[in-house]
Amino acid sequence: MVTAEKKQELLAKLRSAVIAYDEDTAKEASNEALAEGLDANDAIFNGLVSGMVEVGRMFESQEYFVPELLMCADALYAGLDILKPHVTQLDLGVKGSVVIGTVEGDVHDIGKNIVKMMFDVAGFTVYDLGRDVPLDKFVAEQLRTDSDLVCLSAMMTTTMTGMKKVIDDIRTKNPNVKIMIGGAPVSQDVADKYGADGYAKDATNALKDAINMVESLKKMKDEVEAKKKK
Amino acid sequence: MKKLLRNELLDHGAAVVGFACLKGHMSGEIAHLDRAVSIGVDRRLNEDTLALLVKLQKRAVRFLKSRGFRTLAIPPDSDRRKGTFISKLYSLFNHKMAATSCGIGWVGKNGLLISPDFGPRLSLVTVLTDASLEPDAPMEHSLCGDCVLCVQYCPSKAITGLEWSRSSPFVELVRLSVCRSHKKTKRLTEGKPNCGLCINICPYGRKDESGEKIITNGVTAARGDHY
Repeated sequence: MVTAEKKQELLAKLRSAVIAYDEDTAKEASNEALAEGLDANDAIFNGLVSGMVEVGRMFESQEYFVPELLMCADALYAGLDILKPHVTQLDLGVKGSVVIGTVEGDVHDIGKNIVKMMFDVAGFTVYDLGRDVPLDKFVAEQLRTDSDLVCLSAMMTTTMTGMKKVIDDIRTKNPNVKIMIGGAPVSQDVADKYGADGYAKDATNALKDAINMVESLKKMKDEVEAKKKK
Repeated sequence: MKKLLRNELLDHGAAVVGFACLKGHMSGEIAHLDRAVSIGVDRRLNEDTLALLVKLQKRAVRFLKSRGFRTLAIPPDSDRRKGTFISKLYSLFNHKMAATSCGIGWVGKNGLLISPDFGPRLSLVTVLTDASLEPDAPMEHSLCGDCVLCVQYCPSKAITGLEWSRSSPFVELVRLSVCRSHKKTKRLTEGKPNCGLCINICPYGRKDESGEKIITNGVTAARGDHY
């Protein structure tokens, strides 16, 4: 087992590699972590992800801009690729699956991909439909996979309106699903108006909201089942 | 600092190194990284060229980062890099634009970057940064002069013969669809799309049989003394 000191050093190295968008160091540190016998979950969450959380903060306070954010995400994935095969089953208290995609007519998927990454590291099962996704496909995919959560993204005011249709369709078929929307033109107002359960300003918020939603959903299901038993 | 970086890159295999200020030319996402370090390597068009370019690029990134600056490295084959987040932004940027902006060369009639010393035989890589490196003088006009060798030798007659200048950088130099369809035919008949006559024929940087450059003083020639 690794000594506490070495462990701290490796976690710091992983964290700073993500912050400094240094893919090479991220890979090197990940391999080192495995060689030293550091727990892969630990390396991901207390190393890589802790770095990404800091990056999120820097992005919010406008120290970092889009290119830095993207390069940090690439560095995180470089490390994640190495560590992921060694991850023992994650247990965050919730296990959810999510359908995610950018709505029809819209090809902007950078934001969607970053949100997807957060779900990935958090141990969600992600069904990524990609970009320019026909509206019906969200509904069909939700039914097929019985996902707890559907995430819609749109970057343009013209494509944003498609989200309302998806939300309405899913609601009529399956009222229990939680729906989250995001993207540049989206605001809390829009989310309320469209009847979405959540609106995500950025990837970190998306994840927090998502976990909350899935938890409340699970609770609802449990209550319903408990009632049935009675 | 600029001198130090230039020398370090030249010592490790770069043929030319230039610095440009691209303020006002960058799209919003990358506007804060307004200095470009353009690195050119004498092209042999093999694996080694690519490996060398990547190595030089990493060296420049390390140099700037260790001094606390931001960097965005645009890889040499940026159009072929897919699957990473940052690769989405590569299309916002153009290696030739950076190279002309720091005076490494101009865009020739064949649509390629022409350097006075190496002709169209440079492979380029760029590192964008926010370090306030003092920019070199940009190249304002094409120095192809009356030379139309590439226009004449182009097997598909794709080169229009128009000239580039900084003030009108978007003239159609090469009819790309024509060039592309020629390469496609080549691939069918010879198995390889290689053409490259417009590179081989360019007198700038070309060597004769004895290995001497046919335009000896590239820099003076490029200033217009040759024609």
